[in-house]
Amino acid sequence: MLELHNLIKTFNPGTPNEVRALRGVTLTLERGSFLIIIGTNGSGKSTLLNAVAGTFLVDSGRIRLADQDITRQPEHRRARLIGRVFQNPFSGTAPSMSIAENLALAARRGQPRGLGWALNHKLRQQIRDRIRSLNMGLEDRIDNAIGSLSGGQRQALTLLMASWLKPDLLLLDEHTAALDPKSADQVIRLTHEIIQRDKLTTLMVTHSMQQAVHLGDRIVMMHRGQVLHDLRGAERERVRPEDLLNRFDAVRRREQLDAGVAELLRQNYI
Amino acid sequence: MTLLIGATTIGLILALLALGVYLSYRIFNFPDITADGSITLGAAVASILLVHHWSPMAATLIGFLAGAAAGMLTGLLHTKFKINALLSGILVMTALYSVNLHVMGKSNIPLLNESTLANQAESLAGSFLGGGKSEFLLAGWTVGSRDAAMLVGATLMVLAVGLALYLFFRTNLGTAMRATGDNSQMICALGVSVDFIIILGLALSNGLIALSGALLAQYQGFVDVQMGIGMVVWGLASVIIGEALVGTNKIGLLITGAVMGSVLFRLLVAIALRWGLNPNDLKLITAVFVFAALVMPAVLRKLRPAAKPTAT
Repeated sequence: MLELHNLIKTFNPGTPNEVRALRGVTLTLERGSFLIIIGTNGSGKSTLLNAVAGTFLVDSGRIRLADQDITRQPEHRRARLIGRVFQNPFSGTAPSMSIAENLALAARRGQPRGLGWALNHKLRQQIRDRIRSLNMGLEDRIDNAIGSLSGGQRQALTLLMASWLKPDLLLLDEHTAALDPKSADQVIRLTHEIIQRDKLTTLMVTHSMQQAVHLGDRIVMMHRGQVLHDLRGAERERVRPEDLLNRFDAVRRREQLDAGVAELLRQNYI
Repeated sequence: MTLLIGATTIGLILALLALGVYLSYRIFNFPDITADGSITLGAAVASILLVHHWSPMAATLIGFLAGAAAGMLTGLLHTKFKINALLSGILVMTALYSVNLHVMGKSNIPLLNESTLANQAESLAGSFLGGGKSEFLLAGWTVGSRDAAMLVGATLMVLAVGLALYLFFRTNLGTAMRATGDNSQMICALGVSVDFIIILGLALSNGLIALSGALLAQYQGFVDVQMGIGMVVWGLASVIIGEALVGTNKIGLLITGAVMGSVLFRLLVAIALRWGLNPNDLKLITAVFVFAALVMPAVLRKLRPAAKPTAT
């Protein structure tokens, strides 16, 4: 379904700010699987998501999605296959436009846009019905500007927009990190419902070990632009939040050791 | 009375300029200086075609298209060559000055002997009133039939364009355009090429501005290569007054506001000139006015410290 083959990306190559964000990531996702990506800050997990979404083109490697090679496609071309929810609740919606207009834009994700009316009676009715299923009391406010809503409400709507046309791949980039705990819970529940109902192939980045353990059917831990652990099947079933934290600690200790050893070598040999 | 009608008519014609500026500046947040060149381009292209006895309708339409091409160029410079928005506009505007001179062949073309939309409106009004009278009485005022015909013609034109724009903003393409200005990251994730939409939007914006120029040339009976100087600021002033008048972000009202702003601004200018304002100071005062209108909201907010927290 989604095949990432040896993705490499370096930002600002040849400058002091050089960052080797992806150092050869290879991953294969089957149709309908729900993969959670965790990792330390700067491990490349968001970069990986952006590489798949097409925010930038990778330096080398291959990305295949739904039997098409999308490695060189610009972001807006990939959008017909990919639905996305961003970390920042402000990123996913157009604030000065109404709820209905935002959803109407999403209802044509990746399709040509001509001079037909953006909204008609039937679409408005569908929008109202789907928004009612959020249980947020927004169904009577679909002509209000989205800018007047809270972050949690916006994120719920963005999720609805990303999944309006069933995407071949759903990308969730720490989409609850900027929300208060209550809204985050609500959005996570909604995420779970939508992914279950539509059997969406999903790639989700998170900081929360709780979410990692309770959602999804596979966990990938990234470190320094590479896949460090890939937990699935029985191993995935057994894993608890503490186990993940332990693995993080192990990584950190090794880092420190590496630094210490390097220092030792430097002192002894240079 | 003639003064007021004249000012209103020019205000309505320049309302198309205001709508163009509204489109680039408010929808895309793109300060597009191309306007100074494209308004003259529209006037120049329409005028030279009129001199060659083209039908006024066709000449005006081609003026619109010429402006659209100029806008497209600015859009291309900005999106494909990654040139700063302001600079792209300046480059195209500067280039257009020479282009306009080439189109016109000289720096000023009179249209007094040509058949223009203005003459057509006038003769239509003449036959409508009967007997080709040059003026008539309206509620106790003597009104020139030429003036009245212009006013009606300009009103119809602005109504048509305003309505078309309003309807356009409710189509799939139009909502995508508004969303591009509102949140380009989101609309890109929904499969719209932001570059394409910006190019299209600037083409439309400058087309409207050129249309305004083409009509203005026919109304005033000449085109001058200098006529575009400071027009962006005129347009901005109109848009800002309009926003103050309607005070909402509903698209239909904002379009109406831009039109009303343009007319009101023209009337204010006409009255100020009548009272003895030195015409040389006009652009300075306009610039100061726009400056004041831009900083005023922030100053007012500071003066009124947290009277009520505004919900966002």
